[in-house]
Amino acid sequence: MWASLGIVVAVALFLWKPTVLVYGLQRAGLYAAVAIPMALVLGVVHIVNLSHGEFMMVAAYATYFAAKLLGIDPLVAMVPVGVVMAVFGFVIYRLTIRKALKAPELNQLILTFGLGIALSQAVNLAFSSQSWKLSLDYVTASATIGKYSFGTYDFIFVAAAIALAAGLKLFLTRTRMGKAALAVGQNPRGAAIVGIDVDRTYAFVFSLAVGLVGIMGSLFLTKQAIFPTVGGPYTMKSFCLVAMAGVGNITGVLWGSIALGVAEVAMTNVRELRDWSSIVFFVIIIATILARAIKERSA
Amino acid sequence: MNRRLGIIVGVLAFVAAACLPLLSKVAPAIAGPYALSLARSIFVYLALAVSWDMLFRSGQVSFGIAGFFGLGIYGAAIAGISFGLAPWLSILAGGAFAALAAAVFGLVILRLRAIYFSITTLALAEIFRIIFHNGGDFTGGAEGLIMPSLFSNDDGALYWLALSGVAIALVASSWFARSKIRFALTAIRNNEIQAKSSGIGIYKYLMIAFVVSSFVQGIAGGIQLQSYGSAAPDDAFNANYTLLPLAMALLGGVYSTIGPVIGAILLGLASEGLKLRIPYGHLVVYGIIIVLVILFMPNGLYGLWLRGARRREGSRRGDKGDRSGGLGAGKAPLVAGDAGGPVAKEAPHA
Repeated sequence: MWASLGIVVAVALFLWKPTVLVYGLQRAGLYAAVAIPMALVLGVVHIVNLSHGEFMMVAAYATYFAAKLLGIDPLVAMVPVGVVMAVFGFVIYRLTIRKALKAPELNQLILTFGLGIALSQAVNLAFSSQSWKLSLDYVTASATIGKYSFGTYDFIFVAAAIALAAGLKLFLTRTRMGKAALAVGQNPRGAAIVGIDVDRTYAFVFSLAVGLVGIMGSLFLTKQAIFPTVGGPYTMKSFCLVAMAGVGNITGVLWGSIALGVAEVAMTNVRELRDWSSIVFFVIIIATILARAIKERSA
Repeated sequence: MNRRLGIIVGVLAFVAAACLPLLSKVAPAIAGPYALSLARSIFVYLALAVSWDMLFRSGQVSFGIAGFFGLGIYGAAIAGISFGLAPWLSILAGGAFAALAAAVFGLVILRLRAIYFSITTLALAEIFRIIFHNGGDFTGGAEGLIMPSLFSNDDGALYWLALSGVAIALVASSWFARSKIRFALTAIRNNEIQAKSSGIGIYKYLMIAFVVSSFVQGIAGGIQLQSYGSAAPDDAFNANYTLLPLAMALLGGVYSTIGPVIGAILLGLASEGLKLRIPYGHLVVYGIIIVLVILFMPNGLYGLWLRGARRREGSRRGDKGDRSGGLGAGKAPLVAGDAGGPVAKEAPHA
């Protein structure tokens, strides 16, 4: 049913404005790529990291300085930034998250909420709330098909999302650490009994996720302006997508991103609805959560 | 703290606070226009912190304080401007509007738990902001609405108005603490299934907590409107109105009335000092406080004080502690305000 509905909507959009599909897909790539690390943390460490988007923001600032002060291109800087962010994530895990793992979920929620505020406000304190942007010439690349022309650079986000989804799959099924992470995610106590170091696995997965979202911060900077609160909406969008898909369902995150991205872009293309396009996402998030709640109740 | 003593101290402190403006000629440092306007802003945060805690006692974390606060501001402004309601009534209208919205949305979202509830309240606040931002002439769009104040710039009167908002919050909170609502909310927080099987109407009590706390937030919004005279979407629904009360309640000590009050006064004064030195980014302190409190002092200052007092008393009462779902569960034996309190099986039937 969902597949046929999707096809109908896609065909309708294609006949109306094909560029909506292209830009929607590009936006979906960004959303999915940012959401996948959150899904990883939720699936293995069982924590909803409400400072997820803020980690991306911090990485984007780091990349900005690498570009401005050292002249490193963001696409190159993303590797060292990713490593630095992974280390940063490890430190945050050891200092805060680890201590709250046994605490009630409420505490974890408020803890990561507070972490997010601390990160965004620390950046605000250091660099003011002004928004910064890099002007890179390669991001304006475009292509023309028939009478439609559109930017092509943003397909890098789609590529990133696919790479992340595929890489994660390989990691979880083919590597020793990945298999351990999967086992810990399913049953931490059982994993501990068979000799897996649960704490080390948590630390690794959390650091990995922060490193990945750090790489996304570098990619994000190539195209978007950054300011201290830029990450907040991405925390919510990621949570929305992960909740929509359900824990452990990466494919679901990809499909959800496409729906969200295309819906947002479609709204901005209708003049009467343009002011309301920012509401779409919040309505979708509530609808998703409610649908999930009803589904769980009836199941 | 002894119950009766608590009430007496509270009432005395309140009377002292009410007398403050009378000193404006004698001691301008603590009762001058600047001090009174600072007190007003702290009072608004205080009411929000107490109201957030009222819902939090059921184990539900709201990240949408700013949403219902903003609804109160706009409800009061629209009632005053479009319907010509008297300013006094418009404040009540703000509270009623927020409470009504809470009742309507609560029908659905109170079925949600934990992170799902929290994220939904956060999203609702954003939705409210966008609606009022795009509302056209009726809501004044991005510039918002201007409303002439009830007591234009009479600092003393505005102070008393804000203080009466505090009074409403404190009365509502004490009502929760002294009636069977407290048992119901504590039971729901500790173990919802157990509470349900003891015959507690979970949904009913969550609804009461949600509607009453939103009403208090709406009243605070109506008072804020009288204080500043304008309702603009980005101010009314500012995320700070979620962040600051939450940090205040956590620092002071949750699940109590006195905790959020202590937290609001301390953090309100501290942040005023910080704001003067660091105009941008002083909120970082709030984030750090939230993190530190959760990690090292989950029961807040009041919880620490209670524990100290109990140790001095020589643990006569025999701590039963909070079962689960509490902030300090598993670490500290007791949670402020529910000292050895009854759990589900002693809760009255609904």
